[in-house]
Amino acid sequence: MKLGVLVSDFRNMDDTLSRLKADKLGVILVSNGVYHAAAKEGGKKSSVLEKSPHLYVLSEDLQSRGFSEAEIDTRVKSITYSDLVDLIFTEYEKIIWI
Amino acid sequence: MSKLTIGVFSSLVGSLSLDFAVKLSEAAIKKGHAVDFWVSGNATMLSKKGQRAFKDYSALQKPVQELLATGKFQITACEACAEARGYHKEDTLEGCKRHSMDWYLASCFSADRVLHIGGD
Repeated sequence: MKLGVLVSDFRNMDDTLSRLKADKLGVILVSNGVYHAAAKEGGKKSSVLEKSPHLYVLSEDLQSRGFSEAEIDTRVKSITYSDLVDLIFTEYEKIIWI
Repeated sequence: MSKLTIGVFSSLVGSLSLDFAVKLSEAAIKKGHAVDFWVSGNATMLSKKGQRAFKDYSALQKPVQELLATGKFQITACEACAEARGYHKEDTLEGCKRHSMDWYLASCFSADRVLHIGGD
């Protein structure tokens, strides 16, 4: 199964994400979840970025929090709401919100 | 055309998740899809008429009315959640429905994709 996970909060999600099993796991950072793409704690990047090679961040939510796309981790792809609709309907069979 | 069903539980008007869900609905409809939108818990207030828009505060009544006008968007509030909050049938925004959770379950079963946004 191809599973898209909308991560909406900036907290440690290792346990939750590690327990999700999917043939393809996509992590889509939205709302306060966008901090995983750009912020560092104690000089370290978020461990969420290690959970999947398919990482996305919602550009509108990123910009509304004062980040530019130049500040996000290079593994993360910036997307619009329109791109997100395409991901939901064409890339992932199930979508969950955490 | 595909159908996306979004269920939003608990969030108040002004919350991040409710803003997100309405913007996602707008994007889906612009791409030719249909959206069923279920509001439960505090999120039922999204379907209440008479919402006043303040500067620098999220105001969703107008976007919801514009979505309803497309004919591809349905919004239904949990009737019990609304009544429990003193929000009665006559307070419902024109075009919005009120129903038991059967409506949400039926919509989920007939949808191509479901996004369930839990309480916060």
